[in-house]
Amino acid sequence: MPLHPQERINRFEKNFSAYRLIIVVIISCVLMYQDYQRNYLSALRVYLSASLYPAQYLINFPRNFIQKLNTNFSEREQLLKENNLLKKDNFELRSKVQQVYKLESENKRLYDLLGSQPQTDNSYIFADIIAVSPIAEKHHIIINKGSRDNVLIGSAVADSNGILGHIIRDQIFGSEVLLMSDREHAIPIEIVRTSLRTIAVGTGNYNELKINTLPTNTDVKKGDILITSGLGGRYPEGFPVGTVKNVINNPGESFLEVSVTPFGNLKTVNEMWVIQPTEGY
Amino acid sequence: MNYQIRNLFFIWSMILLSIILMVMPVPDVLDQYRLPWLSMTVIFFSIFNISLIGIISVWFSGLILDIMTGGLMGENALILAVLSYLSYRFRFQIRVYPMWQIMIVVLILLSLGVLITLWIDGISGNMLFNIYDWINIGIAVLIWPIFMSIFEKMQSSFLE
Repeated sequence: MPLHPQERINRFEKNFSAYRLIIVVIISCVLMYQDYQRNYLSALRVYLSASLYPAQYLINFPRNFIQKLNTNFSEREQLLKENNLLKKDNFELRSKVQQVYKLESENKRLYDLLGSQPQTDNSYIFADIIAVSPIAEKHHIIINKGSRDNVLIGSAVADSNGILGHIIRDQIFGSEVLLMSDREHAIPIEIVRTSLRTIAVGTGNYNELKINTLPTNTDVKKGDILITSGLGGRYPEGFPVGTVKNVINNPGESFLEVSVTPFGNLKTVNEMWVIQPTEGY
Repeated sequence: MNYQIRNLFFIWSMILLSIILMVMPVPDVLDQYRLPWLSMTVIFFSIFNISLIGIISVWFSGLILDIMTGGLMGENALILAVLSYLSYRFRFQIRVYPMWQIMIVVLILLSLGVLITLWIDGISGNMLFNIYDWINIGIAVLIWPIFMSIFEKMQSSFLE
C-alpha cells in the first residue's frame, strides 16, 4: 500500500533525526576515548576485528596470491643459483652455530657463578602477512597468528634479518603489528661496540629510524651495529635492530642526529617470527 | 517486501565496495591517492536517495572502515554520521543546484571531514598534515559528475 507523502517524509526524518546524530556522536566519542586509552572496550575491538578478519583476508588475497606465484614460478636456473647460495649460507651458519652451544653453556655457567637469573628461553611462532594498513602514515601490518595460536599482545616480531616491530592488538585469528618505523614507535636499543643504551624512534620512513637523545660527545660512528637492550621488558634482549647510517653533529645543537638503517625488511616483509618468552617468565 | 531486501542489498553492496576500494592493496605509486569513496557514497545517498540509508547504518559502515584501516575506533564513524546528517538537511537545496555548485558543496563536505580527522588526531596527539588528503579531495570533487552519473545509472537499473 503506497504511503501518504507526508508519512514518507516522516519515515525518513526518523532515520536522519538530530537525536540519532547526537547519540551516535556521543557513542563515537566514548569509543574513541576508550580505544585511545586501550582499556575497557578493547575486547569489543578484538571481536569486531576478528569478525572482519575473513574480509581482510579476501581483500588482500590477490596481492598475497601474486606474491606467492612469483616465488613459486621462478626460473629453474634462478632456483639452482638460489639453492647453491643457500647451501653456502647454511654451511657457514652451521659452522658458526657449533660455537654457540659452547657459548651458551659457558654463559649459563657464568650466570650461575654470579648467582643471578639465567636468561629465559624464547619461543618462536611462524607467521605470514595478511594485510598492510592502507593509511600511508600508519605502519601497521596484520599477521595470520593471534590469540588462538597463543600469540600475546606486546610480543616482538622479527624476520630473518632483524626486529620488525611488536604486536599491539589481538584479532583472535590474527594480530596487528606496529612496525618500528612508525612515528609512534620507540625501541630501547644498545650499541654493540660501546654497550651504550639508548632509544631509537620511528620516522614514518620504512628505511630509517632515528636517535635524537645522544649528547654531542657520544662515541657513535657510522656502521655501528644496534641490538635490542631488553630494557622496558617488551623486546627480548640481543636481537639485531639496524646499523648506524650516518651521524650529524649540528653546531649549536646539544644532541646528535643519528639515523639508523633497520636490518629487517620492513617494507616488503612476507614471513616473520613472533618472539615471546616461554612459560614462567 | 521484496524491493526492501533488494534496496538493502544494493546499498550495502555499494558501501562495501567503497570500503574495499579504500583498503585494498594497490601498487606503491597509487598508494597515496586513495579517494574518500565511502564519504562520497554516503553523501550521494544522503542527498539523492534518502530512502536507502540512515545515520545508524552510515555510522556502522564508518566503524567497519575504522577497524579495517586500523585507525581509532569511531573516528570515521563520527565523521560520516556528521557528513550524512548535513547532506540530508540541505538535500532540497543541493538537488536543484547546477552541477558545479553541487561539486562545491561536496568539496566543502569532504574538507569538513578532513578537518574533523585532523582535529581528532590532534587531540589524540599524532596530528599529521598530509597534503595528499587535500589532493585526494580535489580529485574526488573533479570526478564527482562521473561518479554521480554512474550511481544514478546503477540506481535506475537495480531499483524500481
